[in-house]
Amino acid sequence: MIEEGRALFLQIAESIENSIVDGSLAEESRAPSTNELAAFHRVNPATAAKGLTMLADKGLLTKRRGIGMFVTAGAREKLRAERRAVFAARFVEPLMVEAATIGLNAGEVIAMVKDRAAAVGAQS
Amino acid sequence: MNPVVRVRDLVKAYPSGNALDGVSFDLEANTIYGFLGRNGAGKSTTMSIITSQLFATSGTVRVFGEDPYENPRVLGRMCFVRENQKYPESMTAAHALRAASLFYPGWDHDVAEQLVADFRLPLKTKVKKLSRGQLSAVGVIIGLCSRAEITFFDEPYLGLDAVARQIFYDRLIADYAEHPRTILMSSHLIDEIAGLIERVLVIDGGRIIMDETVEEATSALTRATGPTAALDRLARGHRVLERRTMGSAGALVFHGIPSEAASETASHAGVRLESVGLQESIVHRTAAAATATGPELSPSSMEGALS
Amino acid sequence: MSQTARIANVIRLQFVNRHPFLWVPLLVFGLAVALSLIIYAMIPETGPKYGGAAQAPMWTFLFVGVSAMTLTFPFSQSVGLARWEFYLGSLAAAAVGAAAMASAFIVQGFIERATDGYGMNGYVAHLPWLWESGWWAAWLTFFVFTLMAFVLGFWSATVFKRWGMTVLVAVLGVLGVAIAGALLVVSRREAWGEVIAWFATAGSLQLTGWLALLTAVLAGLSYLTLRRAVP
Repeated sequence: MIEEGRALFLQIAESIENSIVDGSLAEESRAPSTNELAAFHRVNPATAAKGLTMLADKGLLTKRRGIGMFVTAGAREKLRAERRAVFAARFVEPLMVEAATIGLNAGEVIAMVKDRAAAVGAQS
Repeated sequence: MNPVVRVRDLVKAYPSGNALDGVSFDLEANTIYGFLGRNGAGKSTTMSIITSQLFATSGTVRVFGEDPYENPRVLGRMCFVRENQKYPESMTAAHALRAASLFYPGWDHDVAEQLVADFRLPLKTKVKKLSRGQLSAVGVIIGLCSRAEITFFDEPYLGLDAVARQIFYDRLIADYAEHPRTILMSSHLIDEIAGLIERVLVIDGGRIIMDETVEEATSALTRATGPTAALDRLARGHRVLERRTMGSAGALVFHGIPSEAASETASHAGVRLESVGLQESIVHRTAAAATATGPELSPSSMEGALS
Repeated sequence: MSQTARIANVIRLQFVNRHPFLWVPLLVFGLAVALSLIIYAMIPETGPKYGGAAQAPMWTFLFVGVSAMTLTFPFSQSVGLARWEFYLGSLAAAAVGAAAMASAFIVQGFIERATDGYGMNGYVAHLPWLWESGWWAAWLTFFVFTLMAFVLGFWSATVFKRWGMTVLVAVLGVLGVAIAGALLVVSRREAWGEVIAWFATAGSLQLTGWLALLTAVLAGLSYLTLRRAVP
């Protein structure tokens, strides 16, 4: 779960973002506390706090005095938009680099994508 | 912020040479520090001097602003169970825990009981008959349950198996989260504690060679793999710590992070960039410090010594 | 935690295990008394019989002093005690142990007096010379002697810790030579009669005073040695 090299607080922030995007952490619900995150990820509470602060600064979490952090209304849509914006750079570009290396053209890749999409759709 | 421990120009001279050769650092309140370095680098010596168990040849130590020597106001707020701690003759593990609990008003009997069960510590066995791991468990329980404002752990994992170490780390985080305090933990298992600690202090040859946050330490170095020509272009202007080649491809570890533009160019040329983990980062920089000041040591020999 | 409480806790630390301070010396005392009685029973003599076996438990405090220093001192340092706190608490613990031993000795003396030496005129604790100023004087002598044994053991161990075996042997050697020299001088001057007379006239109380002074000096030396000792 924790990979080497990348700053831990970023990984922790990302894990919360993932929960917001996939809906397991609903909007307006309470986000995990610093201590819960620290215990769960086995990291220093200061690192966990830094991850939470980052999300609060992005407006995804809102602090309610004395109670804790809550997922801001609209956070999910905001994150989805953000991820859509970087989808091409983050996923499509490496895909095309690898495709070029092994001699697949864009048409072949698109065909494969359609094929896979049908399979995933059938499963879910 | 006022540091809780202030160490300045500590020198510990022995006939065979200086164990400490001008050590200076601060410990801030409510922070977990990793105290790292090779065997014989001076970790235990430093911790012994801060707690007034050992005497420095020169230099000063201030704990909560005071000289700790013969000073209960300050000594009573620290706990340092040594790696090779001696216990009174015929004392059992239960005796040792009860004796330690006498001196710490914040001693947590419930946590102690829980840890005894978790570590499967035989309470009625004499301390001198305990195995290496059980002895470490006694030290870990005293260190954690004392809730001392400054707690030192000196290679607390010796003889503990992977399960017991995980129990220790989990308990440490849980207890620290509830009761923040200053912890200085020496360890050779760097990657195991990388997530627990906030700052690293690395000592080598009796000198502090790194004193920074874990994030600073892990982002100080970059590893790049790919075609050697592109690697050389990328590393221009950076201090290269390790270079390995195989045919026309290679791997580099260098100081600093390349600019956005340089990274972009390199990645188009087939270079993969990644940051370096804490343990590897420390290995490289310890080796670099050694070559800068002393006899040459290869990173591979360092790796064995540190892990 | 108050300063007094911390020092009281050092006493509790030393008593976490009660064997060395109480049960072992009491056991030694019991064995010494039993052994003396067996010997008295085998002697046909009907006059009063006196024996020095009661000093045996005092000497166990020599080892109590050694282990208080070599093993309990390092532990005291791990739990944040100042050296002087550890020292005062340990001395107090030794005093408690010595008082318990002295009390056992006195009780034994009263038993001997009440039973006319177990009905065979044999005495281990009720020794006339010690008891001439009263039971409390005998108690005091036993107490001071036991405490001195502790301090001597503690100091020897501290010297060993600080400077090693060679220095300890040298210090003990110098002490031994000094005592041997004094004995030699007494013998050469054929003054043994005077020395014995002095002991007889001085009485146990005055002797205890001198012993207490010696113990205080040793205790002071112990503390000075401990100040820079390393666990």
